[in-house]
Amino acid sequence: MNTVLNVKSLEKSYGNFQAVKGISFEISKGEIFALIGPNGAGKSTTLKMIATLLTPTKGNIEVFGLDLKSSLDRIRGLISYLPEDSGAYKNLKGSEYLRFMAGLYAKDVREENLYVEKGIELSGLGDRLQEKAATYSKGMVRKLLLARTVMTNPKLAILDEPTSGLDVVNALEIRKIIKNLAKEGMTVLLSSHNMLEIEYLSDRVGFIDNGKIHEIGTPAELKRKYKKENLEEVFIAAVKETK
Amino acid sequence: MRKFYILLKKEIRELLTLQIIAPLVLTAVLFIAIGGILGKEQKKAQAPQEVLLQNLDKGALSQTAANILDSANLKTETIDPSVSLDNALNQAREGNKIALLVIPADFENKLLAPDQKSIEVYTIIRGFSITSGQKYNAVVSAVELMNRGISNILLAKNLPTVNPDLIKSPVRVNDFLVVGGKKANINPALVMGFVTQQTMFIPIILFFVIVFASQMIATAIATEKENKTLETLLTTPVDRRLIVISKMTAAGIVALLASLIYLYGFRSYMQGITGGQVISAVVEAIKALGLTFTPLGYVLLGISLFVGILAALSIALILGAFAEDIKSVAGLTAPLMVLVAIPYFLTLFLDVNSLSPILRYITYAIPFSHIFLAAPNIFLGNYLAVVWGILYQLVFFLVFAMLAAKIFSTDLIMTLKLNFGKKK
Repeated sequence: MNTVLNVKSLEKSYGNFQAVKGISFEISKGEIFALIGPNGAGKSTTLKMIATLLTPTKGNIEVFGLDLKSSLDRIRGLISYLPEDSGAYKNLKGSEYLRFMAGLYAKDVREENLYVEKGIELSGLGDRLQEKAATYSKGMVRKLLLARTVMTNPKLAILDEPTSGLDVVNALEIRKIIKNLAKEGMTVLLSSHNMLEIEYLSDRVGFIDNGKIHEIGTPAELKRKYKKENLEEVFIAAVKETK
Repeated sequence: MRKFYILLKKEIRELLTLQIIAPLVLTAVLFIAIGGILGKEQKKAQAPQEVLLQNLDKGALSQTAANILDSANLKTETIDPSVSLDNALNQAREGNKIALLVIPADFENKLLAPDQKSIEVYTIIRGFSITSGQKYNAVVSAVELMNRGISNILLAKNLPTVNPDLIKSPVRVNDFLVVGGKKANINPALVMGFVTQQTMFIPIILFFVIVFASQMIATAIATEKENKTLETLLTTPVDRRLIVISKMTAAGIVALLASLIYLYGFRSYMQGITGGQVISAVVEAIKALGLTFTPLGYVLLGISLFVGILAALSIALILGAFAEDIKSVAGLTAPLMVLVAIPYFLTLFLDVNSLSPILRYITYAIPFSHIFLAAPNIFLGNYLAVVWGILYQLVFFLVFAMLAAKIFSTDLIMTLKLNFGKKK
């Protein structure tokens, strides 16, 4: 099976407010797919529904052919989610945090140790992992959390604004890690409003605004189609055209 | 089970912070220290108190009065009759005496006239504490003793064939205290005082445990929501009921640990105050009346407290789910605190059984009332009432625990929001 994620006519409402208005897209194995859009476009809500945090009001989500409504527990074993602006447990050391999270995914201690080893390596935090997360900078926390997200070898990594609020150096390091993971075969769904980042990272992108997907394609295809030099201009043109 | 252990370990690590432990230990240490200081002051207050005595009368009766005062719980220092009142008061103040007692010049003549005569007592106040009051009571008691002694002498002189005690107290009271089917020959005030003193810490500790545990779990949920660690946790392949149970268990364990520390501190405080002095007749009466905690009583009290804590935790967990951040926790848990405070104060100051039926049933409807009512019911042997209370709390807990599990199993945990005083 090549399709990792299949989203069909997805909708989410909070009372009278409709945050997501019937979006559909597919992601294939090993692909980095990015949802691009401004703040409040519906990116995070869509990702939270796929990450099993929010229940869709309408529509279907399938992960590896498993229906999200009926196979929640199995899907949670296949995915890993990195929320936007999230933190780690402040009273736990970095290494303890990795072990705690690894323990929740691993079947036994041996597997837990393997996950922790991978997490330590991916985080690149070295000896700082022996210090409490409360002492970490924002960049260090983000590296720790990204390492946590991918150390368990998820079939689908869902990354919400993975470099949000980070300085150039830390953001670049995070992007490199994501790129390398995709090369190793991990499927990644991410969201961002940083067009340059998306262009660098993504195989395909989906333009989302006001709860709707306006366009899907590779960055090169979209630039060609809209005859623009960068994704920012393509985004504005695509959203304007489909409104 | 392995995942539950991992979650529980993490929850306890998150809860057992220096910010939680330090105030607890500090409070317990303060309790012990204050108890020790008060104990010492208590002993001082119970020791013979120093007074200055000026006897201006030369008669034998005034000398007898002076002797009785000296033999009472007073350490009298006699001053010369020629010393003026102002100088005598100065001497008493400077000599750290608690009173100056002056027997007037015509003391004996007046009494033999026969007529009533006053002695003058100048009490020197240096403070208004309980122990200060006890010191001054020593003077009052000594004067009463002297009065009785003189009274006996006068009665013997005027009515030589009559027993003075028969005239003064023709009817004696033989006190019996009845509890259930048991009775003991003891003054009720002594037993009531002792039992109250020994058990007054129970509701205080119970109140503390419930409030502490509830605040802790609600804060834990709010912290996880604020840091978005809860989002991460909820997407892991772990049964969400395990997450709920681990959070409640950890809060319960830490609360019980905290209560043990408080209990130890408070016991030391109470022992310090009473100095461990108990009248043996009271202890025997208490045993005879069965006013002690049997092993079954302890077990029932423990179960009642445990189920009560679980009920409070389940409500606090739901309230925590409404919190958007840590700041909103205090406002959200306020109704729960009120629900705990009402039965706490009611049982501390009133007998719930003496309330009007409506108020009584309202009190019984509050699940936490049964925790506070458990100890007095166990003392009085009303075990069935305790069991019913436990069952009621259990039902309450199960309903709210299921509700909490439902909230955590759906996206309500992500969408419920109530934030006081914050506008977006």
